[in-house]
Amino acid sequence: MVRAGLSNKQGAFKGGSVSGVSYIPAATVIAASALGTLPIVSVTGWWPNAGFLMLIAWRLLRTDPWPAWWAAPMGFANDLLTGAPIGLSVTMWSAAMLALEVVDSRTQWRDYWVEWAVATVLITADRWSDWQIAGLMGAPVPFLHIVPAIVISVLAFPLAAMIVARLDRWRFGR
Amino acid sequence: MAAPAGQRPGWSRKAQYSLFFGLVAAIGGLVVGLIMLVLSLVAPSAYASVRGAALDVTAPVSGALAEVVTTARGVIGGAGDYWNAAEQNEGLKHERVAMRRQIIRAKAVLQENAQLKAALGLREKTDQAVAVGRIVGSSFESTRRFGILSVGRGDGVLPGMPVRTADGLVGRVIEAGSSASRVLLVSDRSNIVPARILRGGIPVISTGRGDGTIDVRPLEVGRNPFKRGDIIVTSGTGGIYPPLVPIARIIRLDDDGALAVPLADPSRASFAIVERVFEPAALAAAAAPAPGDR
Repeated sequence: MVRAGLSNKQGAFKGGSVSGVSYIPAATVIAASALGTLPIVSVTGWWPNAGFLMLIAWRLLRTDPWPAWWAAPMGFANDLLTGAPIGLSVTMWSAAMLALEVVDSRTQWRDYWVEWAVATVLITADRWSDWQIAGLMGAPVPFLHIVPAIVISVLAFPLAAMIVARLDRWRFGR
Repeated sequence: MAAPAGQRPGWSRKAQYSLFFGLVAAIGGLVVGLIMLVLSLVAPSAYASVRGAALDVTAPVSGALAEVVTTARGVIGGAGDYWNAAEQNEGLKHERVAMRRQIIRAKAVLQENAQLKAALGLREKTDQAVAVGRIVGSSFESTRRFGILSVGRGDGVLPGMPVRTADGLVGRVIEAGSSASRVLLVSDRSNIVPARILRGGIPVISTGRGDGTIDVRPLEVGRNPFKRGDIIVTSGTGGIYPPLVPIARIIRLDDDGALAVPLADPSRASFAIVERVFEPAALAAAAAPAPGDR
């Protein structure tokens, strides 16, 4: 205890969590979704879906960043902010929460690689459904076109995981 | 590492119930999401107002940040131009001389055209601009190609109106909020534009490919009519887009069509012009959008 107090100049003495601690994860997911309003005029659409990355990064780090059903309203916010078809993120984000619940109950141990693999599966599913819905809406593109987007998102996941880990430490004042 | 430390509720009944309720509610969220998704597939106009409102809220953010980005890009580009100024100067002088000749020829043709039209008594379409706005953002997280334009219903913009820049066609408006609107870019897979080759006037169909390029195919099966460098212009068929707006330049031929790049680069164009629907009868069709129009 003493050593912890000496090594950490602020956290240990300030003690405890920042205010609104239980809302920070959800707020950061919405903030990441709001990156969709950045004035990036891209011709390819290969940027990662930042909101989704943050969502699964939080959920992989902790089992309780938010009650599972919050995924639906957060997905709705994401749909509005990024201009995705309304309901797509509501569905996919809720499904991701449930899928991770199953993963939690089935895995005995985890390391970074397992988490990254789980994230890869989820990101691929998310992009695939986005691609399917685009096809249903009259914009069927070859699947090869979304492969770079999936690769970029998968490579961006560790970054999201790092940001989330830092935020988690910060919100508990550690 | 073990699975994330058990925020499993232990023996507390209350905590167990709240976790269970959370999961049941998540399944409920999934079902609601599916219903919403089906609704946006079969009745896209159901969300017009809420999507319009979201556009109105987010577009000013994009707009304000866009100024910064444009300035930064301008500075970098400007510095680059100094690099080989002498060489550029030489090239530009040659180009100017060539251009002047072309302009004189074009003016003569215009005059002749006006005289001929007057002789035929053709009614000249007024292509007044409805509004002029900036393209402040785009969809960059999906295969759909949308742009966000900083003008909306308050400026007279309505879904279905064509959008162009000085360089060429950008797309058409598909959703309009009161101060911002969403544009279906010509490079979107679902944007099909009736067009023709400027050289020769052979009718073609232009379809976006979702990756910034455009696929053009001739209407008539047969010999591939394209050449590299050909300019594709709108034909005016269909009534939404006015005729003779440049769309794209052919960069590569394939077996029965060609690949083209749009002439109006939405990331560089500073201003985009919203025009009236060329043939107002087409608005009726645009008001009841096909599933593909979302």
